[in-house]
Formats: sequence, C-alpha cells, structure tokens
Amino acid sequence: MVHELLDPVIHTQSRLRIMTTLTALRAGDRLTFPRLQGLLDATAGNLSTHLRKLEDAGYIAVTKAHVGRVPITYVEATRAGRRAFEDYTEQLRVLLTPPTGAAGPTEENR
Amino acid sequence: MVPHEDSSLFPRSAGDAAADDAPLDLAASAALIETQRARVAAATDLDARLLFGVWGAAWLVGFAALYAVALDPPLLGWPAWSAGALFAALLVAAMVVTAVHIASRSKGVRGVSSRAGAMYGWGWGLSFGGVAALGSALARAGASAEVMQLVMTVVPALLVGALYMVGAAMSGSRTQFALGAWIAAVTIVAATVGAPGILAVMSVAGGGGMLVGAVLEQLRRRRMSPRADR
Repeated sequence: MVHELLDPVIHTQSRLRIMTTLTALRAGDRLTFPRLQGLLDATAGNLSTHLRKLEDAGYIAVTKAHVGRVPITYVEATRAGRRAFEDYTEQLRVLLTPPTGAAGPTEENR
Repeated sequence: MVPHEDSSLFPRSAGDAAADDAPLDLAASAALIETQRARVAAATDLDARLLFGVWGAAWLVGFAALYAVALDPPLLGWPAWSAGALFAALLVAAMVVTAVHIASRSKGVRGVSSRAGAMYGWGWGLSFGGVAALGSALARAGASAEVMQLVMTVVPALLVGALYMVGAAMSGSRTQFALGAWIAAVTIVAATVGAPGILAVMSVAGGGGMLVGAVLEQLRRRRMSPRADR
C-alpha cells in the first residue's frame, strides 16, 4: 500500500493545503489566522481542527498576541514541519516516478 | 482499495471536516501542492508588472511634459509650473498604487519578510526625505532653475536605481537588478547630456525602460508557468 509511506498527518486535503501554504512563506514568516483562512477558503472551525492536529505533531506553531485589545493568532510552520513537508513531497515524487525498466506502479504495490 | 488513515478520527457525521479529508490519490496530492503554491505566490508576491508599469508611465509622461515646456520654443504652450504639477501628481498616484499594492499583498504576513520590507521602506522614505531637503536647501542658497532641475533629476533617479539594485540583492530578482542598473546607467548618460535633453533621456530611456521591464516580467512569468496569466 503506497500510502503507508506518506506521512498521515500531512496526507489529507486540508492539512496538505495548510502545510503547502505555510511552507511557501520564507522560514521565519507567519500568517494571521484570517489571512490563512482566506488563502484556503476554509471555515474557521474546520481550520482550527486541522491546525490542532498539525500543532500536536509539532509541524506548526500557533502564537497569540494582542494589538491593542484585539487578539491576533499567528500560525507558522516549524522547522520539523518544513522537514516533514519536504520529506512528504520527496516521497510523493518518488512514488509518482515510475521505476526505470518497469511499467509504472505495478499491482504488487497495491 | 486504500482505507483512509484518519477515518476513525473523522466520523462521517462530522460534516465538512470529514468530506475534505477524503483519501487523496498521489497525482491529486501533487496537483494540489502545485495549485496551492501558485495561489499563495499570486496572493502574497509583489507584482513587478504593476509597480514597474505605474512608475514607468509616471516617468515617461511626467519627464516628457517637463521636456516639452523646457524647449525653446516650447512644444506645449503650458506654463512651466503646470508640467511640474502634472509630474508631481503622477508620482503621488504611483506612490499610492505602490502603497496599496504592498499593503494588500503583505496583509497578515509577519516575521522576517515584513521586517525586511519595513527596513527597505524606511530606506526609501529617508532617502527621499533627504532629496526634498536638498531641494529646498538649494533653493534657499539661490541655485538657478537649471541647477535645480539637474540636481533634482539626477539625485532622485540615481537613488531609485541604487535602491532597486539593493532590493534585488535582497529578493534575488535578476529583472529588478537589471532595471536598477539600467536606471542608474541612463541617469549617468542623462547627466552628461545636460538640460534640457536630460528630461527627454529620463522620459524615454528611464520611463520607457521601466515599461520594458514590466513587459519582460510578463514574459518571464509566461515562460515559468505556461498556463498562468493567459
């Protein structure tokens, strides 16, 4: 089963899109929650659920700050998260590249 | 059949959380990464085509107006102040477009790049504050209109070239570096030409150069991503 090689924390539509978005920023950059939500077209509740799973895995860091009295939530990919995403994309690339001399992913892989 | 890893965590009754956690196939994952990367880039990267375009247009038209009224006999029957006012209005408009564009693209992004951007912004602000102070100091010291025009054309244009090159060093953009170097070179040539030809050189080669930069950026984008910007 090829999917066993892929990190299950990342390998879902929502969390893959979150990690893609956060790692597209420069290391050391973070996004406000509403901006992240806007880039994903996600509902706040759904996004929070997935952010919690990614935070539990140590892939993202969530920080809270106040501007005046307004609370702001920032989200950023951690170093571990960037590494996990790189590993994920590398695995994906390997799995999508047919082995030379064979006719692509074969039945024995499934 | 591939069971979903997280099916136990997302009961089907959980609504959208379960629906968008449907198992992904590998090609769909790869496509999703590519689409989302492009979306983030389009939403957060500054669009050089827009910035080079508005500044190029402002220089092209503004310097051309100054040149037209500076000729003897003038190409345009306008009073000299009106050409200066037109140029000032064009520069203010370009500044507003730039500020709004940067604010919308960097909205909600904090950290390393917003600090770097703020420092770069202060670099522009203080440099041009200095240019304005130089202009008023020269006027107080009794500089002639010709001296004022030479200094107030060459100094800000050189600063634009230098700041573009420095910005390019930060972002690694070759297009931006080439444009900064071009503007600096044009300014050097324009300075040796002297008044009033300096204004024509700045209009055509300076403003025109920025517009060419905008077109080159469009071509670069088309080459990088054949499906984008159609």
